[in-house]
Amino acid sequence: MDYYLQQLVIGLSLGMVYALVAIGFTLIFGVLNVVNFAHGEVYTIGAFVGLLIFVSFAPPLVVVLLVVLAVGAMTGVGLERFAFKPFRRFNDEATLKSRAMREATLMSSLALSIVAREGIELFFGSQFQSLPLKHMLNSPIKIGPVTIVDGDLIIFGTSFLMLAGLQFVLKHTSVGLSIRAVSNNPLGARYVGVNTDRTIAWTFAVGSGMGAVAGILVGLYYGAIFPAMGFTPGIKAFVAMVMGGLSSIPGAVVCALIIGISEAMSSIFVSSVWQDLVAYAFLIITLIFFPRGIFGGARERV
Amino acid sequence: MSAFLETLQLGRTFGGLKAVDDVSIAIQQGELVGLIGPNGAGKTTLFNLISGFTAPTSGEVRLKGERIDGLTPHDIAQRGIGRTFQNLRIFPNISVFDNVTVGAIGHENIGLGSILPWQKAKSDRITQKSFEALQAVGLLEEADQLAANISYGKRKYLEIARALAMQPDLLILDEPAAGLNETETQHLASFISRLHQEGRTIILIEHDMRLVMSICQRVIVLASGRKICDGTPDMVQKDTGVLEAYLGVDE
Repeated sequence: MDYYLQQLVIGLSLGMVYALVAIGFTLIFGVLNVVNFAHGEVYTIGAFVGLLIFVSFAPPLVVVLLVVLAVGAMTGVGLERFAFKPFRRFNDEATLKSRAMREATLMSSLALSIVAREGIELFFGSQFQSLPLKHMLNSPIKIGPVTIVDGDLIIFGTSFLMLAGLQFVLKHTSVGLSIRAVSNNPLGARYVGVNTDRTIAWTFAVGSGMGAVAGILVGLYYGAIFPAMGFTPGIKAFVAMVMGGLSSIPGAVVCALIIGISEAMSSIFVSSVWQDLVAYAFLIITLIFFPRGIFGGARERV
Repeated sequence: MSAFLETLQLGRTFGGLKAVDDVSIAIQQGELVGLIGPNGAGKTTLFNLISGFTAPTSGEVRLKGERIDGLTPHDIAQRGIGRTFQNLRIFPNISVFDNVTVGAIGHENIGLGSILPWQKAKSDRITQKSFEALQAVGLLEEADQLAANISYGKRKYLEIARALAMQPDLLILDEPAAGLNETETQHLASFISRLHQEGRTIILIEHDMRLVMSICQRVIVLASGRKICDGTPDMVQKDTGVLEAYLGVDE
């Protein structure tokens, strides 16, 4: 029983990380109807930036997280500027929704992600970067019969705060309202005075900031930071987005938690090397039985 | 005296097609002007040229004497032209109130800063404007509902409310009566007249002749991209060119 509880806690914190990454996908898909394939690299960049700061200044964790958030946001804005904006020369509805648009940005974001990954590898090498042990988030905490590490709590807490912050931004600020307006109807938004280009840049900033923080949190948790680290969580977050119905934030968060918990629980039945298959199984099931996502049915998408 | 809004020899071609051809119109402040014409006459293209969606291939658009052609739609919206659409462009998955608020924030331009305490006055003003706009169209009771869940007729008013929240100097209504029944159209007619009496400058594109003729002081007629008539409803109704454009030429 204790083991199950323990796995549940691990699964929750894992799921929260996937949720942070999935939100970036979801927000961007919402405003542009495209998938940002460089999102996994934003996560990697977050981890490396955090690592550099830790090694050179060793500031408190909160400071590191804030810096990573800011750097992630800037990375997102840069990414949008180079991989997405050049393809938005025409703003009529047919162009914005065209397949050509989707495929072009798919290729450009994929290209940029390869450049980023190889760039990091060139600079740091492809091996694992180890964090100084004292910064790692793995001091055990005993709660009754269950032993978890402080990293679980920190990941869960930080992610929870960020999700709450995101809800606040989306519901109570003009930027959030503009993001929601643009994802509802980009042309309508333009005609009521919303600067769509700036809103799209903000969307990338918010989504990428959260993805970058997820990267450093995981880096601190597992102590393993390497250039290709963004791939697996990227895929899982992508699955969560698809399961959640592509552009629903609550859907993506719930599905990310489902994936995280299922992965942690699966280690009860199978060897942990099979863990990664859980997400793919979910993806296949979703695509066959819920092509509009588990929560996508209620939401209209044009 | 320069007009409030004027187009000077405005033209737009799509390939070889002259969708809008050498159109010069002038709208004075406080006017309610109807814009009519048979299908394909270029009414919507003219609207799109004025509101910045399409750039003109020739000519100018001036608002209060300043050129606005070539600006982006959101710039033009912020300069004071609010519009509604023939096929609605509301935001279905956000609340009625927030739909209107999007219109209200355009002018304030406050960014992420709206969460900071010293922006309180601004955000209060936005809330105030949104309430007023909803009140003006009578949608206060539906404020908390999702825009997708209110009736089609109400969504038309919601779109007008959203445009009103922008505090526009000029309001452009693109076929507001399309899809409404007779009673609803009458209600709309008196609503538009009221907006006009409150001092707003309005251009109305409409297929419903009775609506246009009953509330507009001046009617501009387009046919095949050209302005063929510009005058009072009585004049327009007697104009032979207009009759030919609508009914075809008697051989």
